[in-house]
Amino acid sequence: MDELILELKNEIIETLNLEDMQPEDIDTDAPLFGEGLGLDSIDALELIVLMEKNYGIKLRDASKGKEIFKSVRVMADYIEKNRTK
Amino acid sequence: MTRNSFYIKSTAQISIQQPLCEDWMENPIWYDSNYVRSLEPDYKQYIPPMEARRMTRIMKRSLTTSNVAIKKSGLVLPDAIITGTGWGCMDNTEQFLEILCNEGEQLLKPTLFIQSTHNTISSHIAINTCNNGYNITYSHRCVSFDMALFDAYLQYKFGKIDSALVGSHDEVTPTSFVLLKKMGLVGCDDEICGEASVSTVLSSTPSDAHSAVAAIRIIYKPSVSEIHSTVNQLLADAEMCTEDISAVMVGISGNKTTDNLYYDIVDNCFRDKTILHYKHVFGECFSASAFGFYAADCCLKHGYIPDFLYVDKSQGMIGTPKTILLINHSDGKTFSFILLRSV
Repeated sequence: MDELILELKNEIIETLNLEDMQPEDIDTDAPLFGEGLGLDSIDALELIVLMEKNYGIKLRDASKGKEIFKSVRVMADYIEKNRTK
Repeated sequence: MTRNSFYIKSTAQISIQQPLCEDWMENPIWYDSNYVRSLEPDYKQYIPPMEARRMTRIMKRSLTTSNVAIKKSGLVLPDAIITGTGWGCMDNTEQFLEILCNEGEQLLKPTLFIQSTHNTISSHIAINTCNNGYNITYSHRCVSFDMALFDAYLQYKFGKIDSALVGSHDEVTPTSFVLLKKMGLVGCDDEICGEASVSTVLSSTPSDAHSAVAAIRIIYKPSVSEIHSTVNQLLADAEMCTEDISAVMVGISGNKTTDNLYYDIVDNCFRDKTILHYKHVFGECFSASAFGFYAADCCLKHGYIPDFLYVDKSQGMIGTPKTILLINHSDGKTFSFILLRSV
């Protein structure tokens, strides 16, 4: 799980162009949106594409995103349970 | 109140010369290569990193020159944002098309999709500056800037606006340079291909302005006699005569094919005038004519013309320039004539 969390943090940094951030700067349990990392709705779309491209997870119901993208740990947990690649 | 003069309150540029300053007038940077990318300022001074992360170079450049020009002008909210661009956000467009091909039209990145249109730049400036005014983009190849300025001037002349942020922005990626060169549009013969981001704020009030747009005319496929009559009409619009023109600034770039059109106009219409050029300093691209405007404004503001702007110094150098006529063309079809005068 820790390996996946680190991998995910690196992918988030690359996909969202968080140029000045390192994986350790992202709190594994902090909210990704709003007060935590401060991501927005366009970032959510980017994360949906990331999950499909890298892990084969198609998020049919966009409203599920709010729960899945709660934190890096929640996201990693969802990926581990649902990944097809 | 006559609204013939639209006063230039401020200008800002990012180019192959030192960015956001007028160092080029004293210490221009010369290049041997025929493809040079813009010199970037430290954007962290102008754009918060979390906002900048989604922006490509052209977006950072256009936003920075716009904000600098707005700040220098003292006008917080111009009535209009009018932008010229030949190819828009090419970097995003290229990346989007690449993913489109490689991923079989699946898994497209939303940011690239949203920010790959031509009007991304103008709308992005509006959002960032919280400006809900008139907002439009002109994409007319090499006269994109001229069209944007023409719209601003007409809107001002007819009392629709009192101020405007006018800009022209183009990036030339390595791939687009190869394509443009193959098309014979840039980098031919002795020509330097550069990139452009120029912003200017114009206003109805002359205070703190050093120069003004006195008249503009744009014509399509003109004959020599039509060019003559257009220049006469332009001067009449500004209540001036040919003798009032201090110098004529043209877009000679080193590309023999397009340069010959300028030489023809000069030979036929302005044989006795001092001729200036600027593309050997700033390079050629779709928005390059904005550098003509910018360079002429700098000359009028500082009251002198750097010797490297003269096409032929043996014709004699002029003292303090009062009026500069800018001539530009796109593909030898659309010709623009812009008259700037000192205030």
